[in-house]
Amino acid sequence: MSEKNGSTEQKKEMVEFLLDGNKVSIPAGTNLIEAAAAAGVAIPHYCYHKDLSIAGNCRMCQVHIKGKPKLEIACNTIVQNGMEVQTQVSNPAVKSAQEATLEFILINHPLDCTVCDQSGHCKLQDYHYDYNAKPSRFIEEKIHKVKAEPLGPNVILDGERCIMCTRCIRFCDEVTGTSELGMINRGDRSVITVNEGKELNNALSGTVVDLCPVGALTHRNWRFNSRIWYTNQKDSICTGCSTGCNVKVAVRDNEVVHVKARYNENVNKEWMCDEGRYSFNNFTPKSRITSARVGSNEVELNKAIESFKPLKGQELLVFISPDLTLEEYWLLKKFLERDVQKFKSVLAHRERKLSDVEKILISPDYASNFRAAQLFGLCGENLEEEYLEALKSLREGSVENILIVGDRGILKQDLDVSIIAGISKCKVSIGLLADANSALCGPIQTIIPERTVLEKAGLMVNRKMRLQFMERLLDCPTTALPVWKIVNMAAAKLGVELVNCTNDRELTLRYIQSDSRLSGLKIGQLKEGGVSLTELHEGKHSRGQTSAGAV
Amino acid sequence: MGKHKQILFKNVHEAEQYTLVGYEKRAGYSIIKKVLSMDPVKVIDEVKASGLRGRGGAGFPTGLKWSFVPRNSGKPVYLLNNADESEPGTFKDRVLLEKDPHLCIEGMLIAAWALQSNWSCVYIRGEYGYPYERVNNAVKEAYKKGYLGENIFGSGFTHHMVVHRGAGAYICGEETGLIESLEGKKGQPRLKPPFPAVVGVYGCPTVVNNTETLAALPWIIENGAAAYKAIGTEKSPGTKLISASGHINKPGVYEIELGYPLLQFLEEECGGVWGGKKLKAIIPGGSSVPVLRADELEGVNMDYESLVQAGSLLGSGGFMVMDETTDMVDSVLNLAHFYTHESCGQCTPCREGGHWIQKIFHRINDGHGRAEDLALVESLSSQIAGHTICPFGEALVTPALSFIKKFPEEFTAKILAGSGPLKKTEENPGAELYQIGH
Repeated sequence: MSEKNGSTEQKKEMVEFLLDGNKVSIPAGTNLIEAAAAAGVAIPHYCYHKDLSIAGNCRMCQVHIKGKPKLEIACNTIVQNGMEVQTQVSNPAVKSAQEATLEFILINHPLDCTVCDQSGHCKLQDYHYDYNAKPSRFIEEKIHKVKAEPLGPNVILDGERCIMCTRCIRFCDEVTGTSELGMINRGDRSVITVNEGKELNNALSGTVVDLCPVGALTHRNWRFNSRIWYTNQKDSICTGCSTGCNVKVAVRDNEVVHVKARYNENVNKEWMCDEGRYSFNNFTPKSRITSARVGSNEVELNKAIESFKPLKGQELLVFISPDLTLEEYWLLKKFLERDVQKFKSVLAHRERKLSDVEKILISPDYASNFRAAQLFGLCGENLEEEYLEALKSLREGSVENILIVGDRGILKQDLDVSIIAGISKCKVSIGLLADANSALCGPIQTIIPERTVLEKAGLMVNRKMRLQFMERLLDCPTTALPVWKIVNMAAAKLGVELVNCTNDRELTLRYIQSDSRLSGLKIGQLKEGGVSLTELHEGKHSRGQTSAGAV
Repeated sequence: MGKHKQILFKNVHEAEQYTLVGYEKRAGYSIIKKVLSMDPVKVIDEVKASGLRGRGGAGFPTGLKWSFVPRNSGKPVYLLNNADESEPGTFKDRVLLEKDPHLCIEGMLIAAWALQSNWSCVYIRGEYGYPYERVNNAVKEAYKKGYLGENIFGSGFTHHMVVHRGAGAYICGEETGLIESLEGKKGQPRLKPPFPAVVGVYGCPTVVNNTETLAALPWIIENGAAAYKAIGTEKSPGTKLISASGHINKPGVYEIELGYPLLQFLEEECGGVWGGKKLKAIIPGGSSVPVLRADELEGVNMDYESLVQAGSLLGSGGFMVMDETTDMVDSVLNLAHFYTHESCGQCTPCREGGHWIQKIFHRINDGHGRAEDLALVESLSSQIAGHTICPFGEALVTPALSFIKKFPEEFTAKILAGSGPLKKTEENPGAELYQIGH
């Protein structure tokens, strides 16, 4: 995904046109659906997607353009200077053409909303209420098509619900380039299918479910999981890698039941990788550490914090998890600098190899927030090298004091016998951990329960230096604290507390205040689109302006 | 037949005309030789001046179509001979392809020179096995003789021709559907703009002409635009092949001068309605033009303007005659079935609306019609026509609407005689039709 170049946009020529009688000014080359959306008029559509080619097959976006004999489809119309456009808002013929299209779309649709996963977030339902909401005039028997046909490991098709918008086909042709999907048969027998000898198993395959405007494509993992209206949906960031894809996560009974990509033109468009999407439930360990422990005894948290005391002025090696929030890195750095002084910190990092399709979206790491750690100098540029070197010294037994911040402070794959032995030899070893089954639990003397990445809110910086806000998704055991609270308590124990905050949000606001470059930024802005730190640094970003939201 | 100037069919009855030897015996390939020394722009001007209109159905002026092709775009220009003749009731190109394939090739070469195109393709209907063989052989012969390939007649002009068989889809006769199909994709019309003249096959400028249109070119160049213009009417010059079928004594393909009285054509060329029966209706231009009742035919001529005035179209010249015994409900059901079957399924109104209309006709024909069904068909037709990607939407609703409008009594009679829609009952659990709310 290329970072959008802000300067070219400003240079663009503007064109003026009349939309439902109102003058609208828009950059040249904008298509009518986008232009109208920018002016606050939502032209209904199914097949159009701003990042896919124009198919023009759903016929929902018909509008009247002065001088044209027939209604035109807005998606295939580039706004011209002086164009006079009437949408459903001002032209009854347009409205009735859209109603007619919807009527046609619905005649063969099974109308099985009662058992459909899409129900509640379905554009057929939305537009039906907006445009039709009449009993059907269709009394014939509906066409029967393929039902519950798996297209690949993650996606399943209901042919009868499909409205033939071909978004899924175009996605696999144009974005992933894998061309697994096609349409066979003609007319009302048309049906989406996988091409001969293929299955829909590319790295982004789940995205077709997000793109499907109806319930034809659904996630095999999450079928019949929950009605969407029983869930709590939150806008957050995927922490699978450092791309920082924007997501909408549905949570029910403290479990992630559905993950959808959320539009961000500068990060992930509306795409998302399967690995990130389907691993949301794995971000939280099955078995949790619920109380602090020193040696083999469960202790009060306060008592466990005492273990930080001997660290003052001592040499300390800190292994840091790459998916803490920016605020946590901020306070951790402050604490280490002020109260520990002689420390060396590394961020767990392993470069991974990516296939061509994975490269479209995925970053070659599992380190969602390493950029933030770099910002505060908690790690350098050669992440993997530094990390491996630190592991080596641990193996050699030359480490005296060790602090492991987060379950992924040392990656699971690196936890071999020699590492465990190295930790055991340390004079002081403290771990801020969540997973009760982690091999780290054995050798570490002091364990303090912390929260996982889904249980806290905060700022994330992606690989391309985009600052975004991650929402808290899940509740956690009451004894588990975010890293910043533990660090704050330790700081208090060694001197005075670093910050006087009671919750994540307060801390985020405090951080934004403390960073002069960010002054004036709102959390909402960071949630919707985020801001590029590089552009902020160069003074390019205009404050108080969020990028246009997804449709 | 003597009274009509024979331009396209001049030699179709000659033996061995389909071979190169036979074709050359009657001065074949002499015109292209002359054309290759002409200024291509002059050729286009000549065709423009002749007033030749596309014979595929739309009747768009051929010379004008050619002039839309950008000169010096830096891309190759493709010429496509649309021989995907599949309109029900139309079978005229077949005769040309079968009996005089070299005439088609020579016509294509003339068009190719005018457009400065080095590549062309005959896209021939999949079901046309025999014509395909004839054309394919003719192309091979022409290559052998050097009439195709490099440096034709020593002019330095290169032209390559491919014969491509369709896979049996009606919609591939629509020019952008044809282009998609030729590119190896599913035959589905493209969004316009851009038009094929600018972005066609493989993104290059492309002209798609009907076989009959191309076959008229040698005569026009040989005899001049004025001579062509002198035939037919002012706005519809030249001759047209008419495929006559249905309840007539002499079905067949006839070349007539445009402007010829329709009833005279029926009586003299077609030999009148068979078995001494009375005439009921005629579809004059292929299945997708409006039907005309017997009492509407007085004074109507076979040309573009006169038929429009009569409320129909010349279309591709599929002249279908129905006698008094014809069941109009059954007939329109037959057509509706065809269009439902052939809809490409790409855009909503045609895909969904077409089969809905077919099902309604089916129900009426089976005696399960409702009083409101005719109004429903009209309403659905207005929801389809003008709202689709390609003209198939109009083609689909035109017969439906015109049959209902011209023969309402036959539909009403079937509805009144019927038992109404079937309802799902315990005795009849398999009923296909049921009424919501009853």
